[in-house]
Amino acid sequence: MKRSLLKLAIVAIAVAPVWAADDFKLPMDLEKLAERATESVDVTLDQSTLALASGFLSKDDPEEAQVKKMIGKLKGIYVRSFEFDKEGQYPMSDVQAMRAQLKGANWSRIVGVKSIKGENAEVYLLKNGDQIGGIVVLDAEPKELTIVHIDGSISPEELSRLGGHLGIPEMGKTKKKTKGDSATPQAKDEDEQRMEKEQ
Amino acid sequence: MTPLEDDLKQALKRQEPAADFTARVLARCAAAELSSKRRFFWSAPVWRMGLAAAAVLLMLVGGSVYQRHEHEVKGMAAKRQLLLAMRIAGTKLQEVQQRVKESEQVEQ
Repeated sequence: MKRSLLKLAIVAIAVAPVWAADDFKLPMDLEKLAERATESVDVTLDQSTLALASGFLSKDDPEEAQVKKMIGKLKGIYVRSFEFDKEGQYPMSDVQAMRAQLKGANWSRIVGVKSIKGENAEVYLLKNGDQIGGIVVLDAEPKELTIVHIDGSISPEELSRLGGHLGIPEMGKTKKKTKGDSATPQAKDEDEQRMEKEQ
Repeated sequence: MTPLEDDLKQALKRQEPAADFTARVLARCAAAELSSKRRFFWSAPVWRMGLAAAAVLLMLVGGSVYQRHEHEVKGMAAKRQLLLAMRIAGTKLQEVQQRVKESEQVEQ
């Protein structure tokens, strides 16, 4: 009996990091950046706060009804956004630490855009079988750093459908931030890359 | 007999009450009864319990209204945060899509 319990404990300890590998945590140091930022946004909405907010979303307002439907399957939304007046105000090690977390087996980078001006935008998806378990948007620009983590079942298409509502620009009407840049496309599905490697 | 014993005997000597003693006692009893009847309105246990119940009810209603108000304030704040988060998330995704589109156009 004792041996089987011991085996179970060993298996649990061995498996725990595999589960934990898919957890995305925002670095604690990130909060310090707000002191240097000219503008910062810090949104932390866990499941209970989402449920509370959902109760205050109107069913009659089509935009709010859409958001209400969308957040029903979410476990949390975390946003950190910082704008600086000078370049190099945030350590790249923070960005790299976040990228390292997103190298877990179930995470895949679906979009990566890099410009010569040093603007890096990446979109990562957490896959739970056929389902999407979360999204992370990492936008690191010389004077701006934005991290959006949506924990739960949501697709980027669902989010894109909000375009034209809630103050989100419609697709194709987005302010051209990269004007004059020769942006390098890196929009590749990591799964495709893996398949190519395997072949 | 000592002088103390004499004093005690003198002090405890039986004395007959005054002639109007009974009348005065009866008059005071009647006055006391009348006064208690007047005070009954405020001092009756029923009224006291009623007042206590009203105070408790007021506190409960007040507490409930306060809690509801607090819930509403927190809920509205959460809603504002949620809409802000969705706005940022949606805008960032749109920006990324736009950049991809632009770079594809540049390539073509």
